[in-house]
Amino acid sequence: MEWLTEVWFSTPQWFQVTAYSLIKIVAIMLPLILAVAYYTFAERKIIGYMQIRIGPNRVGPRGWLQPIADVVKLMFKEALIPAKANRFLFLLAPVLTLTPALAAWAVIPFSDHLVLADIDASLLYVLALTSMGVYGVIIAGWASNSKYAFLGAMRSAAQIVAYEIAMGFALVGVLMAAGSLNFGDIINGQQGGIHQWYVWPLFPLFLVYFISGVAETNRAPFDVAEGESEIVAGFHVEYSGMNFAVFFLAEYANMILISTLTAVMFLGGWHPVFEFAPFTWIPPLAWLLGKIVFVAFFFLWFRATFPRYRYDQIMRLGWKVFIPVTLVWIAVIGICTFHTPIGHWFH
Amino acid sequence: MIPLTHYLVLGAILFAISMVGIFLNRKNVVILLMAIELLLLAVNINFVAFSHYLQDPAGEIFVFFILTVAAAESAIGLAILIVLFRNRRSVNVEDLDLLKG
Amino acid sequence: MTFTQLAFYFFATVLIFAAAMVVSIRNPVKAALFLVLAFFSAACVWITLEAEFLAIVLVLVYVGAVMVLFLFVVMMLDINLARMREGFGEYLPIGGLIAVLMVLEIAIVLTSGGFGEEQFPRPEGHPAGFSDTKELGRLIYTAYVYPFELAAVILLVAIVAAIALTLRKRPDTKYLDPARQVTVKKADRLRVVKMPAEKRADRTTEGEA
Repeated sequence: MEWLTEVWFSTPQWFQVTAYSLIKIVAIMLPLILAVAYYTFAERKIIGYMQIRIGPNRVGPRGWLQPIADVVKLMFKEALIPAKANRFLFLLAPVLTLTPALAAWAVIPFSDHLVLADIDASLLYVLALTSMGVYGVIIAGWASNSKYAFLGAMRSAAQIVAYEIAMGFALVGVLMAAGSLNFGDIINGQQGGIHQWYVWPLFPLFLVYFISGVAETNRAPFDVAEGESEIVAGFHVEYSGMNFAVFFLAEYANMILISTLTAVMFLGGWHPVFEFAPFTWIPPLAWLLGKIVFVAFFFLWFRATFPRYRYDQIMRLGWKVFIPVTLVWIAVIGICTFHTPIGHWFH
Repeated sequence: MIPLTHYLVLGAILFAISMVGIFLNRKNVVILLMAIELLLLAVNINFVAFSHYLQDPAGEIFVFFILTVAAAESAIGLAILIVLFRNRRSVNVEDLDLLKG
Repeated sequence: MTFTQLAFYFFATVLIFAAAMVVSIRNPVKAALFLVLAFFSAACVWITLEAEFLAIVLVLVYVGAVMVLFLFVVMMLDINLARMREGFGEYLPIGGLIAVLMVLEIAIVLTSGGFGEEQFPRPEGHPAGFSDTKELGRLIYTAYVYPFELAAVILLVAIVAAIALTLRKRPDTKYLDPARQVTVKKADRLRVVKMPAEKRADRTTEGEA
């Protein structure tokens, strides 16, 4: 060990900073990608049991090696590129979808000091990054040079833009309650047990945010961009092999990201449910992970429960229901905070 | 350290490129709109640079307002473009020679 | 060369390249994509100027919303590319001349000594607790509150104008009102008819034959 530390301190400082950051990035990415793999497994199992089936149980004990088998299968499949497609953009699109989903994790705090980049406007940063995910979908649809892919991309673009506004307004409520754009401050504003969580004073915004999150990730019941029964597979109809796998990875990474953001902004982040003895023994990271899993379960539950929305219904829900609801609730928060004695309820 | 002049030159080059863009694509309304966005971006770079070097946040506030107005401008511009295309089946500036749509 | 310098020159190069592609590329969809790249690099350049809030807002507003709108419109319109390119290079000489003149003029102004490092030294970095967001917010809601309200009104007018321009009632679409659709009862659509059973004529004819 001695010589290792010696070598480390003899390197230049930029190298130390870069290497340290890289190690931290890998420490976040590896568990995340593993979580994505087993989230797909959980989805198949849970939906299986909800539909009174067993789900995958052949590969490994009780099917536990199924995600690894899937990855190996996708890696060895041929990645086809349509003849008339725009090669460069076609290959760029999956990367553009995945990058924002992973980059957003840089500002997520895992406990009091466990955060990669504690920047000031972390909430805005996440909002900006999630809004970039739409480019992967649009470019994939356009570069494929296929009617179905293009239709899927158009649907997805309109849907994501519509729901992003509702999402942004819901987050305005959160930052009004917390008085900060920093995730650490937002979580610490919810300290002191379940009754302090923002989910109660901001309940309409919580619902809007979570449902918009489901729409933003193109998940059932808002998965018209894929819509197997209408436009085959939407924007990724021409993708196969590893290119398709990256889209798949991005979708599940986005779901986990939305779950995490919901847990951080509305469910108290790493703070325990009650601030007394048996609950405070559990480490903060475990609380956060538990809340993420709880929210992530809803994504799977939705998929097993609801039929797909029709396209005009999705648009109506986004523009005519969610945006007015968020606007009204923002006004309620503002008026209650400054002109009524119950203002502290919202903080 | 990067001197202020480098930021200003960057802004100037960007401004010049978008000017050339307006000359080159004088028929295509879509590209014209994009070139205008680039012009505003070049101006914004100058504002942000001066704001930083003078330690005066007023410049950043101006950028904020320019962004707002530019977003409004492009939204209305695109709306006009769509109406235009609906009526004339073209976005070519040369086809826009009627006083009555 | 420090990391900041490296980042600035890299992003500035990408920005100029992307801008040049926006104005010169044939396909409007690709032009819009290059414009996205230009905005993104500009945001990175702004971060080297410690304007994090504006940089994130630029990505959020332009890359996340305005350019999606642009791409959406450009992809939907069936643009006749061949006609658009007629006389593309016709005005290049005069345009290029004006551009070169402009850059030269600005370069002369900049090198005349008024903007050197003595007059505008690079300021010290902000202290650790400094919040760009907080500073901007404080100014917007105090000194610049009326311009801010005006900007809000401009946005509202833009929303109303954009919708009013593009709204049209199409008589040929079969629109379903979801509110009415979900409140439909069985009695509205289904009518149970009671009628006496008929004698089966075919069987009897068969028997006779």
